[in-house]
Amino acid sequence: MIKPDILSKFPRNHLLRGGGEIAEHVREGRFQRSLALIAGLSSILSGLEASYEHYRGSYSRRVMYTPLIASAALLGAGVWAFKSRKAARTVLPVVSVLSLADGVIGFYFHVRGIQRKPGGWRLPIVNMIMGPPVFAPLLFGISAYLGIVAYYLRREDDPEEQTMPRPAHAHSWAKYLPGKIEHENISWRQDLREGRFQKHMAAATVVWSFFSGFEAWYSHYKNNFRYKMQWTPVVIAPMLMAAGVGAIKSRKVAHTWLPAVSALAIADGSLGFYYHARGVLRRPGGAKLALYNIIYGPPVFAPLLFAACGFVGLLASLLRRESR
Amino acid sequence: MSNLKLASDLKAANSKLPIDPATGKPLPPKAHPGYYPGFSTLGQKGFWDDATRKLIIQRVEEVPPIRFFRPDEVDLLKAVCDRILPQDDRDNAHKIPIVNGIDQRLYDNRMDGYRYEKMPPDGEAHRLGLQAIEAIARQMYGKPFVELGSLEQDTVLKTLHDGKPPAGQDVWARMPVNRYWMLLVQDVLEVYYAHPWAWDEIGFGGPAYPRAYIRLENGEPEPWEVDEQPYAWKAPENSLSGKNELISGTSEHGATPGQGGTH
Amino acid sequence: MQHVDVRMRRYRTDEEVDYCIVGVGAAGGVLIQRLARAGFKVVGLEAGPFWDTERDWVSDEAGSHKLYWTEPRVIGGRDPLALGANNSGRGVGGGSVHWAAFTPRFHPSDFRVHSEDGVGVDWPMSYDELKPYYELLELEMPVAGPAYFPWGHPHGYAYGPHPMGGVGDILIKGCTKLGIRVSAGGPVAILSGSHGDRPHCIYRGFCIQGCKVGAKQSTLISHVPDAIKNGAEIRDNCMVARVNLGKNGRVTGVTYFDPAGRECEQKSKAVIVCGYAIETPRLLLNSACPGFEKGLANSSGTLGHYLMAQAGNVILGRFDELVRMYKAPPAHALTEEFYETDSKRDFARGFAIQTVGPLPISFAKQMMVAKGAWGWGMRKVMMDYNHWAALGLLGEILPWHDNRVELSEEKDKHGIPVAKVTFNLHDNDKKLIEYGKNKVMEVMWAAGAEEVVQEPRYAHLVGASRMGSDPSKSVVDKFGRTHDISNLFVCDGSILPTQGSANPGLTIQALAARTADYLISQGDDVFTSSSRSMERPPVRKNLSPPGTWGKGVPRLT
Repeated sequence: MIKPDILSKFPRNHLLRGGGEIAEHVREGRFQRSLALIAGLSSILSGLEASYEHYRGSYSRRVMYTPLIASAALLGAGVWAFKSRKAARTVLPVVSVLSLADGVIGFYFHVRGIQRKPGGWRLPIVNMIMGPPVFAPLLFGISAYLGIVAYYLRREDDPEEQTMPRPAHAHSWAKYLPGKIEHENISWRQDLREGRFQKHMAAATVVWSFFSGFEAWYSHYKNNFRYKMQWTPVVIAPMLMAAGVGAIKSRKVAHTWLPAVSALAIADGSLGFYYHARGVLRRPGGAKLALYNIIYGPPVFAPLLFAACGFVGLLASLLRRESR
Repeated sequence: MSNLKLASDLKAANSKLPIDPATGKPLPPKAHPGYYPGFSTLGQKGFWDDATRKLIIQRVEEVPPIRFFRPDEVDLLKAVCDRILPQDDRDNAHKIPIVNGIDQRLYDNRMDGYRYEKMPPDGEAHRLGLQAIEAIARQMYGKPFVELGSLEQDTVLKTLHDGKPPAGQDVWARMPVNRYWMLLVQDVLEVYYAHPWAWDEIGFGGPAYPRAYIRLENGEPEPWEVDEQPYAWKAPENSLSGKNELISGTSEHGATPGQGGTH
Repeated sequence: MQHVDVRMRRYRTDEEVDYCIVGVGAAGGVLIQRLARAGFKVVGLEAGPFWDTERDWVSDEAGSHKLYWTEPRVIGGRDPLALGANNSGRGVGGGSVHWAAFTPRFHPSDFRVHSEDGVGVDWPMSYDELKPYYELLELEMPVAGPAYFPWGHPHGYAYGPHPMGGVGDILIKGCTKLGIRVSAGGPVAILSGSHGDRPHCIYRGFCIQGCKVGAKQSTLISHVPDAIKNGAEIRDNCMVARVNLGKNGRVTGVTYFDPAGRECEQKSKAVIVCGYAIETPRLLLNSACPGFEKGLANSSGTLGHYLMAQAGNVILGRFDELVRMYKAPPAHALTEEFYETDSKRDFARGFAIQTVGPLPISFAKQMMVAKGAWGWGMRKVMMDYNHWAALGLLGEILPWHDNRVELSEEKDKHGIPVAKVTFNLHDNDKKLIEYGKNKVMEVMWAAGAEEVVQEPRYAHLVGASRMGSDPSKSVVDKFGRTHDISNLFVCDGSILPTQGSANPGLTIQALAARTADYLISQGDDVFTSSSRSMERPPVRKNLSPPGTWGKGVPRLT
C-alpha cells in the first residue's frame, strides 16, 4: 500500500512518483483509458498471428477471416475508448464481447479441425501438433477480456472520491433476477469500478497461462526441444498458474509470488519473441523468403502472448481485493 | 573334428562378417543391425490402417513357397542373393528371405510393365542369367558357384557388374549383361527393402497412415523413432562388394531402373 | 474414402450414348465430369479398377504396383525409356493417383518454341487461351503454392504453401547460396487446408503410392464423384481394343473387353480418347481399318511420333546431419530459374530443379546406378539412408520424329498388339542434360553436401498424337478434334506438341476443361455435322465441382 504523502515528496515528473501514481490509479480502478489502449494494441498481436496462421490453412473457410476483422475492430475500439468516455461505455464492450465470442467459435472450429484429421482424437498428440493450434483462438480472448474489464473501470481523470453504487433498477434485465443475485451483481460491478477485482484477474491469469503454456509445450515438443531455452515457458506457465491460484486464496501471495512470477513470464515472453524472430531469419532462405519463413518459422507473436499472461498477472497483483 | 578344422571353419565363418576398423576383429551377428538399435516399425503396427497392416504382417509371417524355380536353380539363386545383399551381420533368426520373394513375383507374373527389346521376359532372363553365372564359375574356378568361397563368388558376380563376363556367351547373345545385372540386383533390393526388418535397419519410418509425422525438418526423430547411433564397420576382407564402382557397359543416358519414386 | 451417395447410372449395353471416353485418368476424369454436368450421356471406360482408397491402397512401396500401368510394353532405341512404376497409371484417376502432384503451369514461351527459339514446333493455341483454365483447375484441384510465383507468367495461388521437409530446406539453402530464386511449398495439388470433406495433408510422404488421406488431388476424388452424381457411368476393368469407324467416315463407338474378358461394343455419337501418351496412339494404331491403314486418324503419318519424356536425372547428396527425406511429400519445392532459353548456353530451352523423396526401395535402386553399389557397399549406403537428400532435374527434351510409339509383334492377354516405345536423345537434349545435371549438383554442393552422385532417368511422357493447325503435320486440332474424323477426339497428354520443363499434369487437366467447354458449346453439331468451328468457347465457371468457389485467399495475379 503506497501512502500518498510519501509520493508528494518527489517532484511531479520523477519516475518513482509516476510509477506510484500509476499504481494508485490501478488500485482505485481508475485506469480505463490505459487498459482500453492496451487491449486495442495487444489485439494487433492476435490479429497478425491469426492472419498468417490462417493463410497457412489457406483460408479454406470464410469464417477464418473473422479474427482479423475482430482484432482490427478491437484495435479501433480500444483507441477510440482511450479518447472518448462514451466509446468506452458503448463500442468497447460490444466489440470486446464479440471478439471473445469469435475466440470461442474459433476454439470450436479448431477442435473440430483436429477431430477431422485422419485418426481424429485417437491420435491426440499428433493431431494437436499438426492440426490447428487448439487454444490459440482462446488466447486471443486475452485482449477481449482486457477490453471487457476496461469497460467497467473508471477513467484516469475521474475524481478520486468513490461514487455511489448504481441503483438496482437501472437495467431492465436486472429486475428478472432473484433479489439475492441482484444485490451481488451490483456489488461486483462496484468492485470492478473501484479496482477491487484482484481475485478475478488472478483467476484469469491462471486460465490464460494454462492455454499459453500448453501451446508452448506441444509446439516445442514438435521441435523436439532442440534448444534448451524452449523448456522455460513450459516450466514458468505452471508456476504462474500456481501463483494465480495462490493469489486467489491469499493476499500475501498476490503481493509477492504473483508479481514475481508474472515479471518472470513477461521477461521470458520477451526473450522468446527475440528467439522466435531470430529463428525466422535463420531458416533456409532467411529474409529472402520472408513471408514463407514467418508462416513456417516459430510463430513470432506467440511468446508475446505468453508475456501478456504475465502482464495480466502483474496487473492483478496491483489491484485491491474484492469486498467478498 | 580336429581343432585345426574347427579353427578354420570358424575362420571361414568369421571371415564373412563385417569388421570393426578400430580393432580389426569381426563384429558378431546381430538381431538388429543398423544404426537405430531398438527401433521396430512392426511395433508401430497398431497405428497403421487395416489394409496395410494385413499386407505387412503377411509379408513377414507368410514366406511364399518356391513355385517358379527348380530346386537346383533355387540353391544357386540363394547363393547369388547372399552375395548381392550379404546378410552375415544378421543372426540366423533375423535373415530376410529373398529368393522366395523373387520366385513369387515371377510365378505371379507381376511384371514392371516394360521389357527392353533386347531382353527376354523376366522369368526367362533369370533362368538364363543363372545358367551364365554357373558357366562363369566353372570357367574361372572349375567348381559350381555354390561351392566357391565368398571372395570367389564376388569375383564371379563382379564380372557382370563390370560388363565383362568371361563365359556364358550364348546367354549374353540373347540379353545384354548389364541389363541382366540390373534386373537381378533390383529384384533383390525390392524384396529386401520391402521388409520391416530392413526398415528398422535403415531407420525408415514405415507405413504412415493414419498416423504420419510431426517433425519434418532437421532430421528430427518422431517420438516413437530412435536417434541414430552410428558405429564404424567395413566389409569383410574376402568380399569385393565393399567398393562402389559404377556399373559398366550401360549408355550414359539409358539403362535406368524406371521412374518409380520420383517426379 | 469419398462416398458417393447416389447409385451410379448404368446405360444399357445396346444404348447409344453421347460421349464415350476411353480412359478415366487425369484428362478423362475432368472431361467426364464436365460433360455429365452439362447434361450429356457419358460412359467412361477404364482399363483399371475403380479404387476404394481405404481398402485397395496400402501405405507401402512394394505393395503399390497395381496403381501403375504394368501391362507389357516393349522399349527400345539408343536411350530406351524405362516405363512401369510411376510412369503411367491404371485405374480410375489414372496417373493423377500416383503423381507427385507438382502443378506448375507452362510458360507462354512454351507455346511458341519454334518462333522464339527455332526448335520444336509452335502450338496452334497460345498461353492466353489456356490461362483461364489454369486458373479454374488451380481452384478445383485445388493447388497450394506461394503467394507469388515469379516465372513464366507470374501469378499467385489461392491456397497457402506447404511446410518444408528436409529436402526442401536443402534446395532452399543451396539456391539461396547461389542466388537462385526458389518457390517454397508448391505449387502442388495437395491440400494445405481442409477442403470440403477432404482433410489436408498429413505429410506422410507416400504420394506416389496413392494418397489415402485424400489431400493430394486425383480426378478420382476431385471430379469423378461429381460426374457420377450427374449421371455419368464409369465401367472399370474394361480394356478398349478398338475405336470403330462407320460407313460415313465417322466413328460409331468402341469395342472393349469387359472384366470377364468378353468382347463388347459401346455405341456412342462421339468418342474421346484419353489413354495417355502410349495407350492412345496404341489404340488408334490398332484401330486401323480400310481408309486408315496406317492407323485411325493418321492420314498425316504423325500418330505415334514426336513422343517426349523429360530428363529426370536424380541428384543425390549425403549430408553430415540427418535429413530423413521420407517425411513430407516428395514434391514441395522447386525452381524454374533455368526454364527459358539462355543464349549464353549452348542449347535451346532449359530445365527446372525439383525436390524428390525416394522411399527405401527406390533409393536403393538409385544407389545401384549412381554409386554402383551392391553387396556390402549397398548395405552400408542404405544404413546411411537418413543422411541423403535427392533433387530432381526436369529438363525439356524436344519433340523428335524418331521418338515414337509403334505396334510390336507381341500381344497382350487380350490379343491386342502391344506398344513398342523407341527413344533416342539428340544433341540439344544431351547438352541440356549435361548442363542441368551439373547445375543441380552445384546446388547440392552449395547446400553443404559432402558427397554428390547422380542417376540418369526420365520423367513423364507426352506427345505422340500432337495438336497442330496443319493436318499434314498433326493428328488433332487445337481443341483435340482429330483432323480426319469429325467426331473423334483425343484429349490427354498425347496431344502436347512440346513439353516445357513443367510437370504436365495441370496442363493436361486444363486442356481437358477447355476441350469440354468447346464440346459443350458445339452441342449437337459434334454428333451430326462435319463442320469444325474454331471459335473460342466461353469459359464456363458453373461447371466446376461443388465446393470450388468461396474459399481461399484472393490471388495476386
